[in-house]
Amino acid sequence: MKTIVIYKWFRSAASALVRQDGQVDWGGAKMAAGDDDPAALDIAKAVAGPGGTVTGLTIGDGETAWVLARGVERALAAPAVGPLTDELATARALAQAVRLVEAADAVEAADAVIVADAAAHPGVAPALAAELGRPVVLCVSSAAADGSQITVRRRVGNAVEVICLPPPAVLGAVAAGEEARPPGMMETIRARKKPVVELPVTPPPEALERRGTRPPARLGARLFGGSPDDAASALVAALRADGVL
Amino acid sequence: MTFELWAVVTATEQLAPLVAAGLSGGAAVSAVAVGPLELAQTASGMGVAKVYWIETSPGLAAEAYTGAVGELARRSAARAWLASAAPGPRALLGAAAAATGAGLTTGGVALRLDGEQVVVEREALDGAVIETVAANGPIAVVWGLGEGEPAVGAPPAEIEPVPAASPWAVESLSIEAAGGGLSQASRVVGVGRGVRARADLALVEELAEAFGAEVGCSMPLADDLHWYAEERYIGRSGLRIAPAVYLALGISGQPQHVEGVRGARVIAAVNSDPEAPIFKTATYGIAQDLYEVAPALVRALRDN
Ligand SMILES: Cc1cc2nc3c(=O)[nH]c(=O)nc-3n(C[C@H](O)[C@H](O)[C@H](O)COP(=O)(O)OP(=O)(O)OC[C@H]3O[C@@H](n4cnc5c(N)ncnc54)[C@H](O)[C@@H]3O)c2cc1C
Repeated sequence: MKTIVIYKWFRSAASALVRQDGQVDWGGAKMAAGDDDPAALDIAKAVAGPGGTVTGLTIGDGETAWVLARGVERALAAPAVGPLTDELATARALAQAVRLVEAADAVEAADAVIVADAAAHPGVAPALAAELGRPVVLCVSSAAADGSQITVRRRVGNAVEVICLPPPAVLGAVAAGEEARPPGMMETIRARKKPVVELPVTPPPEALERRGTRPPARLGARLFGGSPDDAASALVAALRADGVL
Repeated sequence: MTFELWAVVTATEQLAPLVAAGLSGGAAVSAVAVGPLELAQTASGMGVAKVYWIETSPGLAAEAYTGAVGELARRSAARAWLASAAPGPRALLGAAAAATGAGLTTGGVALRLDGEQVVVEREALDGAVIETVAANGPIAVVWGLGEGEPAVGAPPAEIEPVPAASPWAVESLSIEAAGGGLSQASRVVGVGRGVRARADLALVEELAEAFGAEVGCSMPLADDLHWYAEERYIGRSGLRIAPAVYLALGISGQPQHVEGVRGARVIAAVNSDPEAPIFKTATYGIAQDLYEVAPALVRALRDN
């Protein structure tokens, strides 16, 4: 099958500096690989299968070497789209990019578009599917294509569910842990030399206005001090007072 | 002035927090119930003005109905759309947002009308800040709070069946429950890498017994160290639990772990590092050595 994996499409919360007054300073933070990007790539490869093709797609200043160093031959970027607040606008930018890839390949639709079902931006995968007019399954941890169907596994609440759906589809991927075998330095250096095709995606307008940020009201736990026995008694008393013990 | 808010749900337990959020923000709340008739009936008694009911076919996942929800959204005048972060309702929310051009955001904790704008407060950056966003048109929000008292004694609202002409063939082939007692427990002790050796888990087990709690763990204790079965780790990729109380022992509190305990009513943490991120999430904390605090907790619990 033909699959498109979308990676490095948002900035990591860890690279934001939050000041005491709640102001956020992103500095020069770039689009980064999220926790779930490696899983998205694994799923894209699994669905493509042997003989299939995987195309990597990123936006903004996301580095294409990430996907090129991980065995993907073709990397495209949409550099004009920076980080957006409105997740629908992000999804619309990604949808534009997907359509441009499909047009270049002269196919009606890639069999599957796989994107991180990121905890920080959980609206993007479903909105992307809706923009493309394709079915979606979220929280996907693994997938395979068999004949004309895509079969996925996912965790919903505390259950494991197996779902099948027909291509073309959108899958929101979640990782179960850290990337098993990240590429070495040499692969990354080689990947940086590979060609990158740029897509003329224009950032869609955003329907959200940002009014600012502030620190959360409750700044941390009430700490009990003193000797271990004092602290333990105080904690037990507090839990009893809350009615949870 | 009021405004219309539509809450998209695929299971009963998703609705109360959304209704509570809407009502406290001054909205007239309707439910879009995608599921069997019982779901629509239960929703109709939960303080909503109306229920739009999309009946699901057995064997199809809620995601099969994204097209139907998109169609419904196109003829709605709702200013706000809410859904929980669960995959089914979230897929449907994405469809409503795309159909209406609604500004789409995440982690909502409060909303209100301000002049012509709907204003949403949201937790951003793993809870490090509260961000305020506003929309002139419709806004769709993946709601961040799982709490909210269900309205009691509300008169049943009208249920309007909405046809779903051609759902996607998104078929649920099997669903297997995991987690057993831990996922239902009202008290859970979670243990992390602060415990130095497997033999020391006896300390934790003893505390759990005195506490009347089940034991869960952070991912490395199951995945890397294999001290506990895979089904026992809590977090984004593991179990999501909602006990009355969660006691975290020697757990740093990385966002991936904390996501699994967001539903807990009270979180208490024992960690020797006063700067550990878990203290940002916890209600109570003891910043001391767990090897001293755990036995002290056992004594305190047994004393009375
Ligand atoms: C895609 C992805 C998904 C993930 N999913 C999950 C998940 O679902 N669940 C999960 O748990 N993790 C998950 N992780 C891993 C997560 O990022 C953390 O690495 C993990 O939660 C850390 O576990 P920990 O808190 O036990 O260990 P550490 O982070 O090593 O923390 C140990 C803590 O113990 C404290 N400590 C040490 N000695 C003592 C002592 N004597 N007394 C008291 N305190 C002490 C230390 O101060 C420290 O804070 C995931 C990671 C990725 C990349």
